[in-house]
Amino acid sequence: MASYMSMGEAHRRITDYLNRFVDVISYQDGTSLKPLLSLSSESPSFLALADALNLFQDANRLIKQADKYSQYAEIVAPLFRAMQSYRVGHLVESYQAFEKSANAFIQEFRNWESAWALEALYVVVYEIRILAEKADRELASNGKTPEKLKAAGSFLMKVFGVLAGKGPKRVGALYVTCQLFKVYFKLGTVHLCRSVIRSIETARIFDFEEFPVRDKVTYMYYTGRLEVLNENFPAADHKLSYALKHCDPQSEANIRMILKYLVPVKLSIGILPKKALLEKYTLVEYSDIVLAMKRGDLRLLRHALEEHEDRFLRSGVYLVLEKLELQVYQRLVKKIYIIQKQKDPSKAHQIKLEMIVKALKWLEMEMDLDEVECIMSILIYKNLVKGYFAHKSKVAVLSKQDPFPKLNGKPINS
Amino acid sequence: MERWQPRRGRGRGRGSYSSSSHTQSNNFRPSNTSNHPTTRKPTPNHISSKINNKQDDNDPEALPNLTGSCPYMCPIEERIQRERLRDLAIFERLNGNPSQSSSTLAVKKFCRTISTKDVRNVDLRPVFVLEDTLNHLLNIFGSKSQPFEVIHDFIFDRTRSIRQDLSMQGIVTGDQAIGIYERIVKFHIISQHKLQRNDVNSNSNVSPMHHLNMEQLTKTLSSLYHLYDKTQKPNPGFYSFYVLLHLGSDHQPTGESLSLWFRKLPFSVMKSKEMMFARRLLRYSRFGNYKQFLETIDSEASGLQFYVLEPYVCDVRAFGLSCLNHGGYKLNPYPLVDISKHLFMEESDVESFCKDCGLDTYTSEDGTRFMPAKQTSFCSPKGPRKYYPMVSERLKTLYDEAPEII
Repeated sequence: MASYMSMGEAHRRITDYLNRFVDVISYQDGTSLKPLLSLSSESPSFLALADALNLFQDANRLIKQADKYSQYAEIVAPLFRAMQSYRVGHLVESYQAFEKSANAFIQEFRNWESAWALEALYVVVYEIRILAEKADRELASNGKTPEKLKAAGSFLMKVFGVLAGKGPKRVGALYVTCQLFKVYFKLGTVHLCRSVIRSIETARIFDFEEFPVRDKVTYMYYTGRLEVLNENFPAADHKLSYALKHCDPQSEANIRMILKYLVPVKLSIGILPKKALLEKYTLVEYSDIVLAMKRGDLRLLRHALEEHEDRFLRSGVYLVLEKLELQVYQRLVKKIYIIQKQKDPSKAHQIKLEMIVKALKWLEMEMDLDEVECIMSILIYKNLVKGYFAHKSKVAVLSKQDPFPKLNGKPINS
Repeated sequence: MERWQPRRGRGRGRGSYSSSSHTQSNNFRPSNTSNHPTTRKPTPNHISSKINNKQDDNDPEALPNLTGSCPYMCPIEERIQRERLRDLAIFERLNGNPSQSSSTLAVKKFCRTISTKDVRNVDLRPVFVLEDTLNHLLNIFGSKSQPFEVIHDFIFDRTRSIRQDLSMQGIVTGDQAIGIYERIVKFHIISQHKLQRNDVNSNSNVSPMHHLNMEQLTKTLSSLYHLYDKTQKPNPGFYSFYVLLHLGSDHQPTGESLSLWFRKLPFSVMKSKEMMFARRLLRYSRFGNYKQFLETIDSEASGLQFYVLEPYVCDVRAFGLSCLNHGGYKLNPYPLVDISKHLFMEESDVESFCKDCGLDTYTSEDGTRFMPAKQTSFCSPKGPRKYYPMVSERLKTLYDEAPEII
């Protein structure tokens, strides 16, 4: 820790910081303000400053010493406390102090006409979320109810309100929105995204195209995920594809995150990814599923779902993947049709239900004729198979033209 | 500068965040340009704005800690007042006297508009009293002393008051509390079944009652899950009810997608027998596999699970009938006996059901009844749902053995 620092040095570090803070604001140097507000980056200068504060113990006196410092007391004093607490691992205290500081910062921010401090505001917003997460972990480990992230959400909504105006600061609203999404997804209170989405998408002051690309990608990623949770596949496809298209191609981790949700969506509308894609982005959990769809192998699909069950449930795509069963059945029947066509093209379109029972048995799935008839009736109803089935003779009669209509990018109608 | 706020949804019992900074922003004024940053001053309403005036049964976080000390099922003051006003339910009357009750008969009413600052400890009942109260109520539930709707109304209100007392005391742990919520869930489920059955028989319109009952069922479940989270002692059967309530795309009682809900559950719950049952039904229902859906109910549903599922069975049967009609061969009409096997219905019920769905049937010369395929007149059954029992020996035994399962 701060064993090697002298009081004099501590004093100097603190006043250096204060001078820098004041200068940066008077020169409206947003870029230089950023590092002054970041705790979680744990930069060497931050750590040294925090040590200095803990050693000196009376930074407030220094702040009050000069008018040029004390005008920012409401921001800096709690910020110092936050730093001190952070350094000794008291994260709940750190969050609380930081929130106070951030509140005061917002007040000042509102007074600054131009958007020079927007990037610095982003840092504050980011820190609020990260510190809140750490604080909640501390609370949970002490057997208490985590509540700081929820408070952070409220705070961010307030920041959003500050940015939602006609001036140049409004381009920051999307960044804050994305931070809110992260908060809500973490808390599981995803329905709260709705109101902020509505604001972004319907308020006249916002023009989506004006926002920075990075924020637009993140926004489309999260709203795309929401569409996946609600199983609106066309919308999910549109949003996640947008995110993919505009994502930084070097950022493999982000691409992987987008694909994690885009692949199930594409599968649901009948589009299969290439094996190479899955391998490149290590999305191996989908490999067997894709294979099952290609082969019409129901057993493999069920097995793949079970093998990665927990992971799929966590990401919220399990139910989507389960429903692929319909397409797997379609593929199975199609395969039987193709085999029959090779043997006797004239009779290919007549499939005995008995054949399907046999095929399923070969896949170690026991099903009786009644059940197969049930399944055929469903496939026909949902337009995955064109034709009819003769109940008396237990035969499915397929249409001679296009008996297995492709989905063509549309989800299966229910 | 245009002052504009994103709208915040504050649904009841939907985790509306009660942080006071929320209401603060409504009070923001554009600050005057000065060098001194204006600090956020807590307004006098800082504390009370945290507490909703309209008491929400499901927002324990917002409430201060009260400890109930009322030893009776009904606080004395309330009982005396209601005796005076002759506001006693029939079950509370001593010897039928509308202005006389007793400490063993009066039960505290649910109060919608109470604000927490008015509540005193003597008005609230501690957990063990609430347990006794619930026992008393469920005895009444099991009796046949009055028409069912009257019984239901009374228990509905008084159990709501029990839940209110629990939440006002911030009781979020303890086996007793869990037991209370679980039994109230069962009450709502059995009531739902009986209300529906009565509705069908008497043609009376009790659908507002259904809707309210369903609303309270989901609220009670939600409180129960909260407790399960805190105590880490989940009872998987009660999670399965939630899944079963969400079968069918138009059945979204809580508006939250199941995928989202599943994310939060411990894996052990997801793999429990009851949840696997519910998940399988969910899979069949999403696939449209009416046959396996009904078969699984036949072989595995518990009595309470069946009550929850019951309204949906009709939809599934209708879908099944529609598929058979749609995909069948015109020259191969369906013997009703075969349909009855698919849909787990008596043959005579199949005939009636076809009619409900706008489909014709006919009888052949030798007396066999058929439904022709490819009829164009199919429609979903409208109006109050007719009840066609599931042909299931196992379910029948369940009911014969234990009709009331509280």
